[in-house]
Amino acid sequence: MKLFSISVLFKGATSSKPNLLKAAYDLSSFSFFQRSSVQEFMAFTCSLIVERSASGSRSSVKEKDYMCHTYIRDDGLSVVVVADSEYPQRVAFSLIDKVLDEFTRLIDSSFWGTRSPDTIHYTGLDPYLAKYQNPREADALTKVQAEVEETKVILHNTMESLLQRGEKLDDLVARSEQLGDTSKAFYKTARKHNSCCKMM
Amino acid sequence: MNTRRRHGPRSNEEGVYLGPSQTQAHLQQQQHAPADAPLPYAPPPADFGSGSCRDRTTEFQSVCRSLQSRQNGLQPSKPAHSPVRQHSDFTLYAKRIGRNLSNTFAKLEKLTMLAKSKSLFDDKATEIDELTHIVKQDINHLNKQIAQLQELVRSRGRQNGRHQQTHSNTVVVSLQSKLAAMSNDFKSVLEVRTENLKEQHNRREQFSQAPSQYNPNSAHNFNAGNSLLIQDESKQPGDVSINMDFRASQQMQLINEQNSYIQSRADTMQDIETTIVELGSIFQQLAHMVKEQEETVQRIDAHVDETSFNIEAAHTEILKYFQSVSSNRWLMIKIFLVLIIFFIVFTVFLA
Repeated sequence: MKLFSISVLFKGATSSKPNLLKAAYDLSSFSFFQRSSVQEFMAFTCSLIVERSASGSRSSVKEKDYMCHTYIRDDGLSVVVVADSEYPQRVAFSLIDKVLDEFTRLIDSSFWGTRSPDTIHYTGLDPYLAKYQNPREADALTKVQAEVEETKVILHNTMESLLQRGEKLDDLVARSEQLGDTSKAFYKTARKHNSCCKMM
Repeated sequence: MNTRRRHGPRSNEEGVYLGPSQTQAHLQQQQHAPADAPLPYAPPPADFGSGSCRDRTTEFQSVCRSLQSRQNGLQPSKPAHSPVRQHSDFTLYAKRIGRNLSNTFAKLEKLTMLAKSKSLFDDKATEIDELTHIVKQDINHLNKQIAQLQELVRSRGRQNGRHQQTHSNTVVVSLQSKLAAMSNDFKSVLEVRTENLKEQHNRREQFSQAPSQYNPNSAHNFNAGNSLLIQDESKQPGDVSINMDFRASQQMQLINEQNSYIQSRADTMQDIETTIVELGSIFQQLAHMVKEQEETVQRIDAHVDETSFNIEAAHTEILKYFQSVSSNRWLMIKIFLVLIIFFIVFTVFLA
C-alpha cells in the first residue's frame, strides 16, 4: 500500500485549466531514470482529472495500477491523491479532507488563483505523505477497528482457555476426591491394626 | 408410624431426599409446602429439551429405599408408585426453554454449514443473512426467557424447600451455560463468515479487474494505429491524452463513488461500535464463567483438606501402633528376665 503523491490544485470558476498550488511526490519505488517522467505524468493526470471533474464531487479514477482519489471542493480548491490500488479509499479521502482544511487555514484564499508552487509556502504535504504511507496507523478509524478486533480475538482465546481451565478443574476435583477416599481407607486400616490384632 | 412410613416413598417421588433422621420433621413441612405451592414439585422430565439430562429418579429412589431400610431395620417400605408427573410451572417453562435451545442449536449448525461453504458464485448470501438474523433473535429471546425463569425461581424462594431451591438454581445455571456456549459458537460462525466474505470479495476483484484491464488494451489497438505500449505512455503525454480519455471515461463509469465515502465511514463507525458492545458482553460472560468455576475450586479445596486430615490421623494411628509394638517387646523382655531370674533363684535354692 503506497501513496505516490499528494497535490493541491485550484480550479477557478473562470479559468479552465486548474492551477497547481503545491505537490509532494514519493517516487522511491520507481527507478531513478523514470522518476522525472513519472512525476510529470502524475502532475498532468491530476490536473486533467481536476479539470474534468465537477465541483463539489469526490471520485476515484483507476489508471493502470494506480488509483487517483480526488475531491474538488465547492470553492474550487481540490486535492488529488495518487495511490496504488490497495490503498483504502476511505483513508485516502480522510487524508484529502485533512490536507484541504490545513491548506485553507494556512494559505490565504487570494493566493489560490494566481500563485505557483514556488511561491506558496506550505510544507505540510511531505509529512502527510510520509505519515499516510501506512494507512492503518495513520487513520484513527482503521486503527481503532484493528485494535478492537484484535482484542476480540484475544478474548475468544481467553474464553477457550477458561473452558480448558474448567475441564482441568473438574479433573482435579475427581482426583482430589479419589485422594480423599484413599486416605480415608488408609486411616481406617491403620486404626483397625491399632485396635484389634495386637500381637500382629 | 405407619402413616409416616407410607409417606416416606412419596416424598422421594417428589425428588427431594430427606436425611433419615430428619424424615419426621421435614415430612410435616413437606405436607404443608405442596398445599401452598401450586403443584408438587417433580424432577425435570427425561425429555428435557437439550437431551443432556438423564432421568435418574429410579436410581435415586432405590438408593433412598436401601438407606432407609438400613436405618430402620425390618419395616419394608411400600413399593413406590410410578412417579406422578405433575408439572409445576417451573418445569414446564424450563422444558420449553430447553426445547427452544435445542432448536436454535440445530439452526446454528445449519448456519455453520452454510457459512463454511466457500464457492465463489453460488453464494447463498440472503439465506445466510436471514438465518443469522433468526438465530440472533432466538438467542435474545432465550436470554429473556432464562432471565424470567430465574426471577420465577427467586420469587418462589420462600415457598419451596431448601432442596427445591437448589435444584431450581442448578437447572437455571445449566441453561445459562448452554446458552453461553451457543452464543460463543454463533460468534465464531460469524467470524468465519466475514473472513469468507473478504476472501470472496478479493477473488471477485481479481477476476473483475483483469477484464477491465484488457479492455483498454483492445481498445488501444483499435485506436490510432500508433504502436504505443502501455508502458511507454508516460513518455508521450500528448498521445496519452487520447488514450487516457478513453480509459478514464471507461473506468470512471465503473468506479465513480460519490456518496460511498461518507457511507463507508458510517459503516466503519457502526462496525466499531458493535464490536465494542460485543466485547462488553464477552467480558460479562467471562466473569460469569469464572464465578461458576469458583464453586469447583472450593470443592477441590474441601477434598484436599479432608485428605490431609485423614492422613494426619492415620499417621497418628500408626505411631501409636508402632509404640505399642515396640513397648510390647520391651514388656516381653522384662517378663522373660523376671522368669529367668526366678529360674536361676530356683536352681540356686535347690542346688
